[in-house]
Amino acid sequence: MNLTTQKISRKKFLEGSAAITAAGLFLACLPEELLAAFTDPETLSQFNPNVYIGISSDNVIRLVIHRSEMGNGARTSMAMLLAEELEAPWEKIKIIQAVGDAKYNDQNTDGSTSVRKNWDSLRRAGAAARMMLEAAAAARWGVNEKTVFARNGEVHHRGSSKKLSYGALAIAASKLKTPKKLSLKSPQDYTIIGTPRDLVDVNAMVTGSARYGIDVEEPGMLHASLERSPRVDAEIVSFNGPEVERIPGVVAVVSLPAQSQDVNTSAAVAVVADSTWTAMKARKILKVRWSGGRSSESTDAKKTELQALVQKKGKISRNDGDIGAAMPEKRINAEYFTPYLVHAPMEPPNAFANVTEGKCHVIAPTQQPQRLRKAAAKFLGINKKHVTIEVSLLGGGFGRKSQPDFAMEAVALSQRIKKPVKITWTREDEVRHGTYHTQCMQRLDAGLNKKGNIETWRHRTAFPTLLTIFAPGAVSPAEFELAQGINTLPYRIPNIRTESYPVKSDVRIGWLRSVLHIPHSFAINCFLDEIAVSTKRDPVQMRLDLLGKPRILELSEAEKTGPYKQDTGRLARVIKRAAKAASWGKSLPKGKGLGFASHYSFFSYVAMAIEVAVNDENEVTVDRVHCAVDCGTVVNPDTVTAQIEGAVSFGLSLALFGEITLKDGVVQQSNFDDYVIARMKDAPEIIVDLVDNGDIPTGVGEPGTPPVAPALYNAIYAATGTRLRSLPLASTDFGGQW
Amino acid sequence: MISLTVNGKQKNLDTDKDMPLLWVLRDVLGLKGTKFGCGQGLCGSCTVHLDGKAVRSCQTPLASVEGRTVTTIEGLSTDGSHPCQVAWRGEKVPQCGYCQPGQIMNAAAFLAETPSPSEPQIEKAMAGNLCRCGTYGRIKKAIRVASGSVK
Ligand code: FES
Ligand code: FES
Repeated sequence: MNLTTQKISRKKFLEGSAAITAAGLFLACLPEELLAAFTDPETLSQFNPNVYIGISSDNVIRLVIHRSEMGNGARTSMAMLLAEELEAPWEKIKIIQAVGDAKYNDQNTDGSTSVRKNWDSLRRAGAAARMMLEAAAAARWGVNEKTVFARNGEVHHRGSSKKLSYGALAIAASKLKTPKKLSLKSPQDYTIIGTPRDLVDVNAMVTGSARYGIDVEEPGMLHASLERSPRVDAEIVSFNGPEVERIPGVVAVVSLPAQSQDVNTSAAVAVVADSTWTAMKARKILKVRWSGGRSSESTDAKKTELQALVQKKGKISRNDGDIGAAMPEKRINAEYFTPYLVHAPMEPPNAFANVTEGKCHVIAPTQQPQRLRKAAAKFLGINKKHVTIEVSLLGGGFGRKSQPDFAMEAVALSQRIKKPVKITWTREDEVRHGTYHTQCMQRLDAGLNKKGNIETWRHRTAFPTLLTIFAPGAVSPAEFELAQGINTLPYRIPNIRTESYPVKSDVRIGWLRSVLHIPHSFAINCFLDEIAVSTKRDPVQMRLDLLGKPRILELSEAEKTGPYKQDTGRLARVIKRAAKAASWGKSLPKGKGLGFASHYSFFSYVAMAIEVAVNDENEVTVDRVHCAVDCGTVVNPDTVTAQIEGAVSFGLSLALFGEITLKDGVVQQSNFDDYVIARMKDAPEIIVDLVDNGDIPTGVGEPGTPPVAPALYNAIYAATGTRLRSLPLASTDFGGQW
Repeated sequence: MISLTVNGKQKNLDTDKDMPLLWVLRDVLGLKGTKFGCGQGLCGSCTVHLDGKAVRSCQTPLASVEGRTVTTIEGLSTDGSHPCQVAWRGEKVPQCGYCQPGQIMNAAAFLAETPSPSEPQIEKAMAGNLCRCGTYGRIKKAIRVASGSVK
């Protein structure tokens, strides 16, 4: 059993989470590994108390951000955590992007972790520096440390008007030891955390000076465009290299072998030229003969296979009560399908690499610089200290840029041609050579008693696992994939069973914003709606009844990555708030409908009410989306609101249009004409209600996506009486113009 | 040799005449603010002004701009003070920011022609500019804020 109920009070839970105490100052210490000096690539700061902070005598305060900026606001929110405790003047800070290095701790920018996983460590790093500056000032003035305090980049003496800037104290502070016990600010004294802050990069972004990976220009750099095998495992038989090399501007045409798991590059022929365009244009006359490859997956056949699977008993994962012994009065079941998806960040994958004698320099829009550093060191057979991974801004990531493949192509190519080179993927490359969001077939069965209460709940889910990108031949889903939505089902149902299946697939599966929560939230929320209709209950009230009295639910081992538990009271609260904001229960004119969904993911609670209008031609317009979100303490309300708005748009794209299909192992889509994403006309009014109750911060980037598709489908049902069970809407026979 | 004016400066280029303006700007002239998103006229990331009109630079061969005037995001204002840039900051539009130069250039040209647009007019004019981060609501709002102040 994965969920156990614990009767602990809310107060105890907060204390146990060791993050905030009511008593004001919170004592903590700084982990040893963060004490290494930070070396500023430009100027050496005199005071480097830890890897995240550098203060120089000329009063420049450098904050090192070790997570990637991809629209998630990480460079701003994380700087806010440091600046808050450092008492740094916000307008004067300078942001430095960290290179990939284990000394920064985890740099993997996915799983909605940038704030939640660094909430403690960055505040501590800031507090340590602040206390050292205070101690330096006290020593300089010969006064007791208790009589000095730091504020806004200066240390003040309480008894006099004496003050010193951080710059003036930098050298003295650098000679002090990091304090063993740190005093953290009390939340009511926060002046930065919880206040709306512009993105530190906003000006660069609106003037065109923001630099993404695709904008890298290095001395002597060549440009490359790669023709990759259409099937993941096909090999090169021959290609017309000499013919392509005759095109003016083309420097070389070379083949690159595939790199296996977990790098996952395909065999490719690289056209290297003096400009991006020349490389792309020359690639058009490149002809490569491929050996077939064994992958032959076709979407229709795969769908049939998955559908057959969910009719049979699978491997049991969660098993509460005894589903077989229950004797329900009425049974209801339904099947739900969600297709493969691709990320389509507006900036396609790209990377610069320069491999020289025993050294490697990469600049890439990567979400995982340390993974890349390791992969490059292994590939080149050199120590990773000789591999430098610089992280540019990312023009969107959504999980695609967690993968090392596109940068490892650049590393391999630079090694091969012995020149610095930038690889730029076309949009077609990105759509056809993705690490796709998995497709998923689910069957849900519920047994209802005489009163219409749910007695039994059986959830079967069949999907190719993303473990395939790590190990060849992986077929069984990982526990964490099942923990995403289905094993964490929070409702009081006496008999619950979840089942999954080994599925063989040649498709490379990767993470995509909110991962398995997408299919699982879709099926669960749609099925709840179906049960509510069949038992003539209100779907919102039914959810609240199923949650019952607030309980704290332990998470399964797979999902336990910090001091997190599922609090059904918090879920109930967002459900009530979203329903109220949307005037749930109001009567709507013909053709309009309100749909509801709620979901717990990345330790945050989100409820959503979507209002749609459906006309006589079955054209659907999404009018309004009310979201209530509990992600604990809100660090930058601007960013949290924007992330939820963005997640709604992402969710609408996949609900309305998103679908990758394969024929004989080859992806059928290629660009934004056949892989459609939401446009401005599809964008509804989005109202975001943030519940900030002082709990520790939880995920923000992803939790807004899972409720969108089911709330939309439930709204379409409410408006029309038509029940749809497969995504996207554009591929159903519902009609309408897409 | 192709001559054109880019952000007020005369350029004489000895470049492949087929090269789309997008790549001329980015790779030859080093103006990286104009972005590549699809290369097929489907996303609007590469939008610039050609004689004041918004065009997709990925679909504009160099040969076709001989003697004409091109403005990119770098030339829209010298200091980020164009009403659209001001409104974009004010409404906190960007997330990853990648699509925004194209969005701003498209909106600036549109507002110059249609100073007080209706909502459907905005949606129609901006239909070709994609944003995967989903900043559409804020773009709409920023355009309303900037409307009336674009010359
Ligand atoms: S890059 Fe030109 S429209 Fe997409
Ligand atoms: S802001 Fe990221 S694509 Fe628009």
